[in-house]
Amino acid sequence: MTLTHLASPVTVNWGITARCNFVCSHCFSRLDQAPELSTEDALRVIDILAEHSVMFLNYGTGEPLLRKDLFELTAHATGKGLKVTMNSNGSLIDEAAADRIRDAGFHGVGISIDSADPATHDAFRRMPGSFDKAVRAARLLRERGVPLSISSVICKINHTGFPELVTLALELGAHTIDLHNFKCSGMGGLNKDQLDLSPEEWKAFYERAVPMRETVHDIEIAFDDPILSLLGAEDKAALVAGSVCGKLSLYVKPDGEVTPCGFIPVTIGHILKDDFGQMWESSPVLDHLRHKSATGKCSGCSKFSACLGGCTARALAVYGSYEAPDPHCWVEEGKG
Amino acid sequence: MRPERNPAIVWRLEKKIYDEAWEAARNDEEDFDDKGVLTLMLKGGIHQLNLVGAEIWTRVDGQRDDAAIAAEMAELFGWEPEETVEAVRAFLEGIASRGWITLS
Ligand code: SF4
Ligand code: SF4
Repeated sequence: MTLTHLASPVTVNWGITARCNFVCSHCFSRLDQAPELSTEDALRVIDILAEHSVMFLNYGTGEPLLRKDLFELTAHATGKGLKVTMNSNGSLIDEAAADRIRDAGFHGVGISIDSADPATHDAFRRMPGSFDKAVRAARLLRERGVPLSISSVICKINHTGFPELVTLALELGAHTIDLHNFKCSGMGGLNKDQLDLSPEEWKAFYERAVPMRETVHDIEIAFDDPILSLLGAEDKAALVAGSVCGKLSLYVKPDGEVTPCGFIPVTIGHILKDDFGQMWESSPVLDHLRHKSATGKCSGCSKFSACLGGCTARALAVYGSYEAPDPHCWVEEGKG
Repeated sequence: MRPERNPAIVWRLEKKIYDEAWEAARNDEEDFDDKGVLTLMLKGGIHQLNLVGAEIWTRVDGQRDDAAIAAEMAELFGWEPEETVEAVRAFLEGIASRGWITLS
């Protein structure tokens, strides 16, 4: 039995800064340069999340290490019992930064590496030398015992070469490799035609990648894609159907606006101006995501109760509708 | 046996639902044990425990052994002590097989 949502989010993804020293080809946040909150306001955000028993606080969006108060905020959050993680491009993690990350008590750090081939990674991240810096960052973190994950965005550049990425992640000592599906938001929307896969290519990717979870040991291969229900590969212990945004997680933008996830640019309130609990419980947008109705080929699809039409962000970006079938779904009308 | 939590598990009590489940239990409602009152995460997987599971879980502290936990559970729910020991053991063995606790 699945739930519509939990009493409060398990994870809040927080864009603590919109600034970044990269301009990656797929980045959802480069086109939305929201001003960031002051340290004082950011500390209040943490208090609100802790009051609502949020378990994980993940710094995403922009490069978190560009915020000078990163470690002050992290100390405050860990002191309140939050498990703090961050995604970084790794370019600013030298020995001193790695020491500070370890000392700050990060629950984990995700380093973005999208190809095991340095030139391919650098071209995708549009930053020469970024592969070497990411690999160096991963090694420095592991040498200090910081739990490491490798974060890769699956798209045209790596959908066939991902096994090498898994091997690299293993060699770097990562406990998990997150194989994120490409989202056509922000720069990803502008570069969709060059980067996104066709539904058939997604099918081929998942048919190769999902079985690797059984054959590759010592590393967790993670996907965050509700259309995995199509392969019967959804998480059997899933508490909620479809994607987790608005059900187990929320996104807070650098300026404090709250959206269901970073890829759904629909504001449901402001974390410092609106009541967080009420927003979570009563937002009409979240209610819509939690109670989707089947349309188009999803009507009559046997997977709908687990898949809920797949990724809402993709449907919204491509068809302008929460309800539309996920554009990555490879099911033919009437055959699901 | 003395159960100890896997330190990699992150968990929280769902306070409001916990209170509702206790209310239902006190009113002898049959479905008091259907609600997920404690959420735990391990390796990206997310799981929930019902009221009885949660009351056992919160007593797993590396200090109490299975008999001590069972005695407290029997008193809490007004259960037969001997049956409670068996039920608590079975529960602990079940979650140990999932890697959530270790038994020493
Ligand atoms: S994907 Fe990350 S590293 Fe790349 S531009 Fe966006 S925020 Fe910066
Ligand atoms: S047709 Fe709709 S419900 Fe069925 S698998 Fe595709 S997106 Fe999911």
